[in-house]
Amino acid sequence: MNWLAKISITCFAASYLVVLVVELLRVWMHRSTVRSTIKVGFAIAGFFAHTVFLAYQTNLTFDQSGLWLGSWFGWSLAGAWLLAAAYLWLVWQKFNSNVGLFILPIVLGLIGWGTWIGNETQFTAVREKSIWGMVHGISLLVGTVVVALGFVFGVMYLIHARRLKSKSVSSGQFRLPSLEWLHVNTERSLIVSACCLGLGLLSGIALNLTGTSDGIKIPWVNPVIWSSAALFGWLLFSCVGSKLYQPSRSGRKVAMLVLFSFLFLVIELGIAWIFGHGTGVSP
Amino acid sequence: MNMLVVGCSHHVVDAAFRERVAFAPDQISDFLDSYYQRYPKTEAVLLSTCNRTELYVLSEKGEAAPSRHELVELLSARHDIPMEELDSALYAHRGEDAVSHLFNVSSSLDSMVVGESQIISQVKQAYETAVGARPKTPLIHRTFDAAIRVAKRVSTETKIHENRISVPSVAINVLAKQIFERFDNKNILVLGAGEMAEETLTYLKAAGAQKITVANRTPERAATLAGKFSGQTAPWEELIDQLKSADFVVSTTGAKEPIVDAAQFGPVMKARGYKMLFVLDLAIPRDFDEKIGKQFDNVYLYSLDDLQRECERNMNSRKSQWPKARSIVSAETESFFRDSRRRASGSTIAQLKQQANAIKDDELKRLLNRLDSVSDKDREQIEKAFHRVVNKLLHPPLESIREESATEDASTEPVGLLDAMRRLFKLD
Repeated sequence: MNWLAKISITCFAASYLVVLVVELLRVWMHRSTVRSTIKVGFAIAGFFAHTVFLAYQTNLTFDQSGLWLGSWFGWSLAGAWLLAAAYLWLVWQKFNSNVGLFILPIVLGLIGWGTWIGNETQFTAVREKSIWGMVHGISLLVGTVVVALGFVFGVMYLIHARRLKSKSVSSGQFRLPSLEWLHVNTERSLIVSACCLGLGLLSGIALNLTGTSDGIKIPWVNPVIWSSAALFGWLLFSCVGSKLYQPSRSGRKVAMLVLFSFLFLVIELGIAWIFGHGTGVSP
Repeated sequence: MNMLVVGCSHHVVDAAFRERVAFAPDQISDFLDSYYQRYPKTEAVLLSTCNRTELYVLSEKGEAAPSRHELVELLSARHDIPMEELDSALYAHRGEDAVSHLFNVSSSLDSMVVGESQIISQVKQAYETAVGARPKTPLIHRTFDAAIRVAKRVSTETKIHENRISVPSVAINVLAKQIFERFDNKNILVLGAGEMAEETLTYLKAAGAQKITVANRTPERAATLAGKFSGQTAPWEELIDQLKSADFVVSTTGAKEPIVDAAQFGPVMKARGYKMLFVLDLAIPRDFDEKIGKQFDNVYLYSLDDLQRECERNMNSRKSQWPKARSIVSAETESFFRDSRRRASGSTIAQLKQQANAIKDDELKRLLNRLDSVSDKDREQIEKAFHRVVNKLLHPPLESIREESATEDASTEPVGLLDAMRRLFKLD
């Protein structure tokens, strides 16, 4: 169908931007059914366009030597898609909360980043289609999204806890999920992200050990490998520490841990990008 | 239609007096029965809540209705309160004022807590009791149906019911729900067993609380309160131990000094693994040292003052809706009177037409009997002529009545013309 091909990044990015503006308006203005309908309508429309765009682009490149989803561009857009799905789920769960103010900037940031990087560098199809390659790519993608979600929950937790401490909480326009909910989900995101990134690291090691017909090998001293190991170590330490060391179970400390995890992740992604990790070229 | 309301509310008398003039639900029907024995050509509704007792009297004709004095006398005899004392305490509203007052009451604009939702069910209850006391009550139906409709309009078209304003409801429904996601798995410790504790527990129970422990210096009172909410009691001496396992503490004791200080609280937090704790200190003076909230990261300590600020914010928010609510009441009052006038004039117009047609038919019959031979065609022409004469004669006065009933004049019927018409044509 030709109309599918006409869906561009601008379509869903603009929809998400409208949703973000509506979320911002909710902070300053009274709640209104019209605005809520616009918010949900644009969020669903944006997510639909985003899904169609990803599916169409993947289908176009499936039989080619380079896989579109394996590029930084596709990877960023897929990450943004997962976060947008998480946003819709949160709107369903916590309709009156202003969660969009925290998630949508990351969604738009990822779309912007993917667009800026472009579609030049690609994983090779051979590498992408191997079992270890797929596990490596998917687990790192999901892990990254969960760390980003954990970051969002952590930031919301810190803001909410600060408001509660300063007694400035009211039944006004700016609403966040309960402190208990944020605490539980921040802790969960820490555990899930540690599992996913751990799996990503292990599958990456397996991928490097087994080798593929394209003959790409990454040296063990490559900064991408040790920075990934450091990130995984940090997440593992955070998980175990938050469970075993009682004072660290304080919600604020867990929130700080996920904030640092996100910082680590950004550094890790920066290193991977600088060193051309996953470009199909042996470093 | 005539309407008179006599009564008193929290605006004019104190709680002690309101208690003296209040009616228990089972006394209302009995009172209405005795009322109808004296004033059978009227209709009456008795509204009795903890904040008001009001007797609404409605009648088609003014002369059938009792006066304010007679109603005060009736209430005085009923409650055994001296006539002078009651007379000076009760207010009375008539006509438009009475209808407007009822609309304000039903839409909670006259309530102690503006925007509270209980009053509409109390008005409905009073309406049902009044209808049950007498089989035919068209005026009550018309007036109280309108009052319920006004209340619904105010509720849906304004935000007057939004934002809670009582301290316990704000504490649980606004604050506690921002901290806890659910209450069924939380250990709730209530210190004190007074009214504030009971009201807070009512909201907590509605929010799903199940694990409730009450501790009080007088164990019997703790047991009574715990029994009401399916909770358990704990000895007052075990207060510190109870704090170690609680998730949510509601403190409402009458202690003159704080019952828990910061030094005592350090070991408590350590023992509970620094788990989050919400302390709602509703006591005056405070039960918990305010340093506790500042010193411990995961403790959220709120006092009565903190909550009072939120209540005031919400009250101001409700007040901002008053003009809109008042304009709805005002528009509905006007509309009510317009409908009443239309109804009253409609009845007179129908009677007048009926009377004129009866005269026309009599005269036509008499004329046709006198005439020997009239063809069908002529007969038809004569009937039409008679019909035109009646219509042409009635048209100007009926138009005038219709015009008068459509004016914005605040009376239940177009008194001047309608009355004149009834007297001129001797209508009932």
